[in-house]
Formats: sequence, C-alpha cells, structure tokens
Amino acid sequence: MRRSEKKRIAFFDFACCEGCQLAVLELEETLLDLLSHTDIAAWREVMTGDEPPYDVAFCEGSICTRADEERLLRVRRDAKILVALGTCAAIGCHNNLRNRIDTREALEKVYGKAARGMDVTEARPVSAVVDTDYRILGCPVSLPEFIAVFKAILTDQPYRLPNEPVCVECKLTDTLCVYEKGRVCLGPLTRCGCGAICTRFGDVCHGCRGLVDEANLAAMPRVFSREHLHAIMGAVASGQPLDEERIRQMIALYNNYPELKIEDRGDA
Amino acid sequence: MTATHLISEDAFASLLDRLIQDMPVMGPVERRDQPGFYRFDRLEKTADLQVAYTTTTIPPKKFFFPPVDEMFTFDQSGPLHIEEQAEGSPFVLVGVHPCDLAAIEALDAAYAFPPADMRWIRRRKQAVIIGMECRPDDYCFCTSLGTADARAPADLFLTPLDEGYLAEVHSPMGSVLLSDTAARQATKNDRKAAEQVLQRKIEAVTARLTTSVSQLADILEYGGLTAVWRETAERCYSCGSCNITCPTCFCFSIEDTLDADLSGGQRQRSWDACQLLDFARVAGGHNFRGDRWQRVRHRWHRKFLYLYRRFGRPYCTGCGRCSRACTADINIVDITNRLVAHFQQEHKP
Ligand code: SF4
Ligand code: SF4
Ligand code: SF4
Repeated sequence: MRRSEKKRIAFFDFACCEGCQLAVLELEETLLDLLSHTDIAAWREVMTGDEPPYDVAFCEGSICTRADEERLLRVRRDAKILVALGTCAAIGCHNNLRNRIDTREALEKVYGKAARGMDVTEARPVSAVVDTDYRILGCPVSLPEFIAVFKAILTDQPYRLPNEPVCVECKLTDTLCVYEKGRVCLGPLTRCGCGAICTRFGDVCHGCRGLVDEANLAAMPRVFSREHLHAIMGAVASGQPLDEERIRQMIALYNNYPELKIEDRGDA
Repeated sequence: MTATHLISEDAFASLLDRLIQDMPVMGPVERRDQPGFYRFDRLEKTADLQVAYTTTTIPPKKFFFPPVDEMFTFDQSGPLHIEEQAEGSPFVLVGVHPCDLAAIEALDAAYAFPPADMRWIRRRKQAVIIGMECRPDDYCFCTSLGTADARAPADLFLTPLDEGYLAEVHSPMGSVLLSDTAARQATKNDRKAAEQVLQRKIEAVTARLTTSVSQLADILEYGGLTAVWRETAERCYSCGSCNITCPTCFCFSIEDTLDADLSGGQRQRSWDACQLLDFARVAGGHNFRGDRWQRVRHRWHRKFLYLYRRFGRPYCTGCGRCSRACTADINIVDITNRLVAHFQQEHKP
C-alpha cells in the first residue's frame, strides 16, 4: 500500500461526555505511532489553537444547538475527510432521548430560568447534519475500530463497518452466552466490532453500536415471551417483567434517531 | 479386537500429571464466571479436568484451527518479507466426547480434500487425543446420527467405571500412553460394565430425528420445503452462533491488518458463518443468499445434503451445540423433524 504525506488532523467535540476522545487518549503508545503520520491542527482536549484546513476532522457528540450546527458546517467545509467519532456522532445516543419530549419543557426542567434564550434544536447525530466519510461506533468508541479507521485513512482505503451481530465475537472469544445465565442481551441485534467487551466482562450487550443491517427486530419479542426465559428473567430483574415495550425502549436507547435509516448507518 | 485395560483413577491422574509436565494438555474445565458450565482450555493441574462435564460452548476444534488464526506476518519497510507463523507444538487433548471425536474426523476429511489445508493437517499431527464417555443433555441426538459410540480419531478412549476407567487403545500412541501406568488388562466384566454405561447413555438420549440421514438427504434434495424455511427464518437473527459453535463447520474468512507504523502487518483467518448476512456477498454487491430463509436452508443443505453426498457422512454429529447456542430457540432436531413432517404431509399416499 501507498504511504501518504503527513495528514493534518483535528478533533472536535459537540454535545457529549467526551468519553470517546478520552478513550482514544488511552491508546497511549499506539496513538503515538498513529499520530507520527500526522500533524495536529486542532484538538481542544489536548492543546490550544485551531488551524484549518484539515485533511481529517474527527467529530464527536451530537448536534443540539444552532451554534453546534454552524460550527459543524464550518468544520465540514474545512475538512477533506470527516469522521463521526462514536455513537453520539454516528447514529445517535443518549442525547437524542430528549427528542421524545417537548424541548421547551425539558429545558425548563433542567435549566429553569436560564433556559430562556437557549437556541436549542432537535438533538441529531453528526451524520444526520453533514455527510460523513467514515463512522466509528461505540459508547465509548471501540478502540480497535478507531485504529482500523485511522489506518484506513492514512492509507487511503475505505473502511467497512463489520456487519455481524455481537454474538459472533462472543463465540470467537469462547464467552458463555448471557442467555445461559438467564439474562437478556441485545447482542443478536447489535453490530459487532467491540470485541464483545461487555459480555466478556460479565455484563450484557446494551446495543451501543446500533443495529446490524437487517436486524431481525421482530424475532426478539418472541424470544422474550418464551415462558421459561420470562420466569428466569423475572427473578433476575427483581420482578420487573420484560415486555415488548421495554425491549423496544432498550433498543431505542442507541438507535433513536429514526430519520437515519438503517441503510444509512453502514459505511460511507 | 481393540485392546482394553482398566486404569484406576489414581493411575490416570498420575499419567495426566506427567503429561502436564511435559507438554500443554487441553481439556474441559469449569468456567470461573459460571459454575456448571465448561470450556476447553489448558489444564494447569490434573484436578482442573472435569471428567463429568456436559458440553462446551466451543468445540475442541479450536485447538486445531484457532477462531482467529494468524497465518503470516509481512514487513515492507525494505523488500517485502513474509514470515509464516508456526502452528505450535505437540499437545494432548483429553476428555473429548464421541460426537466431538466424530466431528474431528469429519473435519479431517474436509480439510484433506484438495487443496488440503496444511495448517489444519500439521496441527492435527501434533495432537494426542484421549476420548471420554459422555453424559447427554436435552439437546443431544447422537443416536440419530450414528455417533453415540464414535471412537476415531482418539488414541485412547476412557469410560468411567466404579473402579476407574476402561481404557480402549485405538492407536500405537494409545498403548504408549498406557505403557508406564499401573493399568491392567480389562476383564470380561469390565468390558461388560462399560457396555452398560454406553447402553444407559443411549437410553438417556431422548431427542431424535424422525428419519434416517439418507432419507433426510433425499427429502432435502427433493425440496418443496420453503414454508418451513420461511417460518424458521422469521425467528432467526442470522447471528451465526449455530455455525460458530458447530464442531463440523469449517468456513473461514481471511483478512490483512496493518501495524500502527504502517510498515508491516499480518494476515489472519477467522471462523466465518453462512448464516451471516454478508457471508455470500461478492464483489459488486450481489448476495447469493440475501434472504434470511435462503441462509437457513443453506445450513441444512450443507449439513445433511451437499457434504453428505460428497463425504458419505452428514456434517452434523448430534452434539446439540447449535440448538443450545440459539437465543431464538431454533432447535435443529425440531426443525429437521418439521421438514420431514412437511414432506410427508405433501406426499401422503
Ligand atoms: S451474550 Fe449476547 S452477544 Fe453474546 S452470544 Fe449471547 S446474546 Fe449474543
Ligand atoms: S443461532 Fe439461531 S438465531 Fe442465530 S443464526 Fe443460528 S438459527 Fe439463527
Ligand atoms: S449441526 Fe448442531 S448438532 Fe450438528 S454437529 Fe453442528 S452444532 Fe452439533
């Protein structure tokens, strides 16, 4: 493969916890290796200054205000390649939950009087506002995928999001399925690429990487209504019955930007 | 006739102790995160071996073909340099149930089919295999597939008895294993006791196919089963768990990855699964089995028709792992019997 000239890269954060950038910084040595092929033009979390234009702009978070939107459009104009970094930016995450309630009502509840004058819009992932060239999923972002995308950009290659459910990664790592422990898991519907990090360490899959292509949503309520499973889970979830509505809510936590069709969630 | 010996538990334990000191010994161990569930792993000590384990999520084929197998590394900082990754060193695999033995034999045939898979063949040659009589669970149906008493390719096969194990010697390596132990010739009574263990096991296997494997192949070949495929597909996630946990599935995909310094990288292959959406997607975007029901059908066709015709055996040993792994509760025995019933319904005299 061809090695490119040094690329000018930048990181931008919008409405989010900045956990994805933090996760990226945890790459330490590997990050230094990757950065050795680049010059940093902007990265508020690690340095001051911002010198456009950029070859690559990593954008994290959701777009929640007019100001966010303008800033993102500006970054898009100044960047050859724009990467949606993490679930908030790529497909919509917790931020978007507030779209289900009246924005004014939510603002007043949280900010009281200070809410007046806030120029708030519907919460949207970056990818619903501008064209993205690459997307990296995960809450926080999956580091192996970040590395893979970074290398793809450095070598001018496309990156294809893995299109398999998390179950594949459980199996490849010989992890006991949480269903065998009587717990519920969104892994069969969720796009892998995380290395099954949650299930390997004793949790269930919460679906933070969004739906896999052609996820069989209709199959899941049937699974959950299975008598015996229901009985076990009823006990585990301390009496809270899992009905179809709750399953849909669980799934919606990370797949809640309905305007973004499943086909749009694949690789750019 | 197979030579049989009686080896006491203590004598077998000291044999394992010695083997563990000499080389890696793999066997069923209890999962730390969930007692009562097992996985094949390296034994640190003899006591780790769980003789009475039921089944494991992933079959022992992972020692001959790791789920992610690094084939070679390459370096392009100078002229292209390729370094093949060795397949490891000799090891012992202990505690393999008859269905899993049959599955290793099936994979031997598949991977020896030209072009032979040398990585599989070389790793297989490094292994000494000690089989073990099993305890069936609700998912097992080996009796429908003729694998309940499979022995090949074990070197030694053990049946737990009151006094220790009945040890059947199935290869010269098997007798080498026993040569330095306090095993004695088995008596007629010992053999009879082992025979009873097998009989009791066969009776304990309750799940059953309602047809023979050769009739099943004919039914699948005849076709007209789309209704069953479609109704099964409605429930299926296409998650591939049924393939990846299967001891006879052998498909893999190959991928190159670059190191972070971009001057080199590695080529690796990992287990693939025909139930996954993109399995049969080719360059240009066409997907040969883009509909879920086509993928469901393909699994049955592979297991019970195509490979049965090619190798003279179904590529299913009745281990039940796929049914257990399926979070959508798609049970291979149920679906197969539904196919048979559907066929019979359509062809009533
Ligand atoms: S734990 Fe979840 S992701 Fe893993 S195999 Fe089970 S259902 Fe699939
Ligand atoms: S394990 Fe079950 S849900 Fe998953 S692909 Fe196989 S049959 Fe379908
Ligand atoms: S198809 Fe299912 S029952 Fe048959 S060998 Fe594979 S995992 Fe076992």
